[in-house]
Formats: sequence, C-alpha cells, structure tokens
Amino acid sequence: MKPSLEVNIAGIKMKNPVMTASGTFGSGLEYSNFIDLSKLGAIVTKGVSLKEQQGNLTPRIYETPCGMLNSIGLQNKGVEKFILEDMAFLKEFNVPIIVNVAGSAIEEYVEVAQRLSEEDCISALELNISCPNVKAGGLVFGSDVDSAAKLTTFVRKATKLPLIVKLSPNVGNIETIAKGVEEAGADAISLINTLIGCAIDVDSFKPQLANVIGGLSGPAVRPVAIAMVWRVSKAVGIPVIGMGGIMNCRDALEFFLAGASAVAVGTANFINPEVTMEIIDGLAEFLRINKLNSILEVVGKLKV
Amino acid sequence: MVHIKAKVLAKIEVAIDIYKLRLSCPKIAASVLPGQFVHVECGKDREFILRRPFSVHRRLGGNAFEILFQVVGKGTRALAEIEKGDILDVIGPLGNGFEVSDTVKNTLLIAGGIGVAPLMFLAEKLFAGKIPFDVLIGCANCKKAVPFDLQNIIKDRVFFATDDGSLGFKGTVTELFLNHLKKNEKPDVIYTCGPKAMLKQVALIAEKHGIACFLSLEERMACGIGACLSCVCKTKSGQKRVCVDGPIFDASEIIWE
Repeated sequence: MKPSLEVNIAGIKMKNPVMTASGTFGSGLEYSNFIDLSKLGAIVTKGVSLKEQQGNLTPRIYETPCGMLNSIGLQNKGVEKFILEDMAFLKEFNVPIIVNVAGSAIEEYVEVAQRLSEEDCISALELNISCPNVKAGGLVFGSDVDSAAKLTTFVRKATKLPLIVKLSPNVGNIETIAKGVEEAGADAISLINTLIGCAIDVDSFKPQLANVIGGLSGPAVRPVAIAMVWRVSKAVGIPVIGMGGIMNCRDALEFFLAGASAVAVGTANFINPEVTMEIIDGLAEFLRINKLNSILEVVGKLKV
Repeated sequence: MVHIKAKVLAKIEVAIDIYKLRLSCPKIAASVLPGQFVHVECGKDREFILRRPFSVHRRLGGNAFEILFQVVGKGTRALAEIEKGDILDVIGPLGNGFEVSDTVKNTLLIAGGIGVAPLMFLAEKLFAGKIPFDVLIGCANCKKAVPFDLQNIIKDRVFFATDDGSLGFKGTVTELFLNHLKKNEKPDVIYTCGPKAMLKQVALIAEKHGIACFLSLEERMACGIGACLSCVCKTKSGQKRVCVDGPIFDASEIIWE
C-alpha cells in the first residue's frame, strides 16, 4: 500500500503536510514557473492588510551565517486587490489557500478577516501576530498573552473559516501564549515566525538593514523552532504547524517528530524553487522505507 | 526561465580579483538577452545560503554564456575557487533586458567597475546590428580594468577613467562622460551599469542633456524571481521589483533617494 501523506488540519484537508510559509512564496505565480502548485499541501499567502502598504526602505535583507535577516515590512497590495488579482490566479489550482492576515489594530484584522470570509475559495486564515518588521501591529499583539487572546477572540467572531494563529518566538513563555490563543478560539497554531535580529557594517557604522532590525530565518533558527514546536505541541490540544529553517525532507521530519502535524517551508524557496516538491517526495520515500502507513505515525513520536 | 545545472567550461582571472566564468548551458544561452541575469548558488552546504545574481556578460552561440564577477565577499570568493569541469546550480535567464529601439543611431555605454558585465553583451548586440557606440569604463586603477575586447574592432572607441590615472583619463567616469559629451556628437541613448551613486549622476547628466538613458540597477535580492520583495526600487509608476520589473529601467522613471 502506498503510504499516505494526507493530513487534516483544523478541517483543512491537505494532500500532504507541506505548506509554503507566509511571505516567501510571492503570489504563487512566481513559483508556478517551477512547480505544479496543485501538488502542495497548502499555499499560505503573503500577509494581507486592509490597505496597500509600501513596506520598508531598502536594503531589506542581509545574509547572515546559515540564514538571512529580512525587514520587508509587510509590503502588500491590500485586501481588495489581493482578492481581485492573487486569489483569481490561485483559485484555479486544486490546493487549499490559507491567507495570512496582517493589521495594525484589532479593527483592521477583523475587517480583513470579514472581507476574506466573503470569498468562497479561501480555506483558512492565518493570523499574523508576530511580524517584527512593522512598528504598529504584528508583534505588538503577539508578545503577550492578553493581547494575543483578545485579538484571536475578535477575529474568531468575525469569520467561520478555520483560524490559524502564527506565533512569535520573541516572547518569554510561548506555551502561555499558545494556550491563550487556543482558549480564544484558534483552530491551529503555526510557529515560528522570525527571530528578531540585527547586523551592522562596521566600516560604515551603519545597520545592514534600512529598518535596523529585522527577522532572522533560515537553517540558523531551526533548533529554536524545533524546541518551540516540541513545547507548544505538548501544551495545546489543537494541531501545530511547524516552520523555521526547513531546507530538506530530514529537516521537515524533525518537526513532525517534535509534534508538528504539518510543516511550512519558507526561506528555502528562495534558494531552491522546487524544494517543496523534493520534501513531499522525500517524505513519501521515508514512510515507504520505514514501512509506515501514514505521516501521522511520525507526528510527535520523538523518543525521550 | 529554468533551474538547471551548468558545467563550468573555463575560469579566467581577467583583472585583479575579477573573474570570468564560462558556463555550458544551452537552455539559458539560447534565449538570454543583454541585461538579463542568472541567479547562482555559490555556497552549497555552506553558511552563505542565498544565491548571487550575475548579469550575463557574453553569450557564446546558443550553447554557452559567461558571467563576470568581482570577489567582494564569501559568495564570490567561493565562486572564484570553482574549477573547470565543476557544476553550478543556476536559475535564469531572469529580468527584462536592455531595450534597443530600431531608430537608435548612436549610443553610449557607461560602466562603473564591475558594471561592465552586462554592457559587453549589449555591445555585441549593437555591433551585430551595426549601431555605432562608444564605451566609457570607470575603475580604480589599471589592475582592475576589465578588457573590453570586442573583436578588436571597437578598441579605439573604448575609453577608460581610473582614480589614479594609471589607465586613460584620471578621474571618475562621470567626469569622463561630461568631457565626452563636449567633444562628441550627442548620443541618442545611454546604457549604463555601475554603483548607484554613479548611476544617479549619469542619469541626471543625461536628463539635463535630453538624452534617453537606460540603467541596470542592483539591489540585495533573495529569490530573484519576484517573490520575496527584497529588491524593490521606487519609480514614478510605483514600487518595482528589480529582479523581475528590472534590472533595466528607464532612468527618467527612477525616483532617486
């Protein structure tokens, strides 16, 4: 029997547990030149806010050891244009679309969530409460349990779509925040967003990013992500979507063993546009070699 | 646009710390246009994970192309250690390429440093189309000068500017540009590539003299295919991505900082 990669996260049926991480997959169009988008488990879009946002000044990225800093600053075309352009393209593919929702006030998150809920081609919303790159919003909501839970409660009321809340690693106790958003009605949790970081050019005395600080991603953050997925998946009853520096199938397997029910691939897309396909094939091969029937037999099976 | 393995046919150090890599890759060579670039993995399994973008320097028939690069950091250092016969992981051709209108009669190419890279490929196209052009190249000194040896025919139309005067004019390439404008017939179009500060000066001079100007912009980029939104620039028609909307832009469109 062919092993099964199918998973069901908060009612989102996926052919396999490999998703794209928000902000790393453009509008999907860019990657359709390289891969068949319908083979993905799900596509998570770039953060969408109510109105168009220009993002931060350049330089917006800087390469660091085994990773990169970014401070894109949530550049996006706003929810209406997103629906008109990006969703029009994405809905043609037989793949769940999860829209990442960004905002700078509760009202904005609610309004974007309501607007997206009117569309019938969206499978779920991912609440971005962890972007380190914009002054107002994002991390403001994700850094303490009360504001994270409050925002989740409001958005929960505004939509019937499955609600994933994406957590920041830049917090004191991530289990507390995870439990808070679970109680507030989150259907799943995704983690980790980027770690706050900074790099400096000592010759010019200037920061490497125009925004001074940015978010660190790539394999450098993977051990942090694995630890947090391990802790959060023990603390909550809802599914956990793991991400942070996944470059290949074996990296993804670490997340499943730590307790993730699905994974998202981010920075690796920039280096290898076909990486998601390679991971999906690798997972099937791993199950076959180990005579396992389903990926679910790996989830949370870390032997300690 | 393909993601492909390309075999290194040759590596030549053309000036101090400046290398030319010749890659066998029919899929890219067959369709690449002057001004387009390739995104090259330089640090497989090493700590520098991102690809590096390089303009295509020359096309050798339909089977091979060359990139020209200067060693400036870890990625380019690793690339300089590549040997003939090695395999590189390449995505390309990327970006839009230089537009050359049929009505152009007289053009001027202006390069700053390693900015000479895409202009050689463009010069080949102009030469093939029998469009006259002069070339101005600025670099630190004669040891950093990349030979612009297109069929030897145009050598007398290539002019260097060096900071120390060790080759050609002593001064910046923009000073040389101003001198050139005084002594020669006004070009219809300027094509330029180099550091941003130089591009800005060239663009402003071109505008002042009413000359059309196209420039090749550079920004730090991650994906190279328009997804990550790292390499944006401000233009009069909104924010653009250098990797897919450029790297070639009409200078009059750019909003300079």
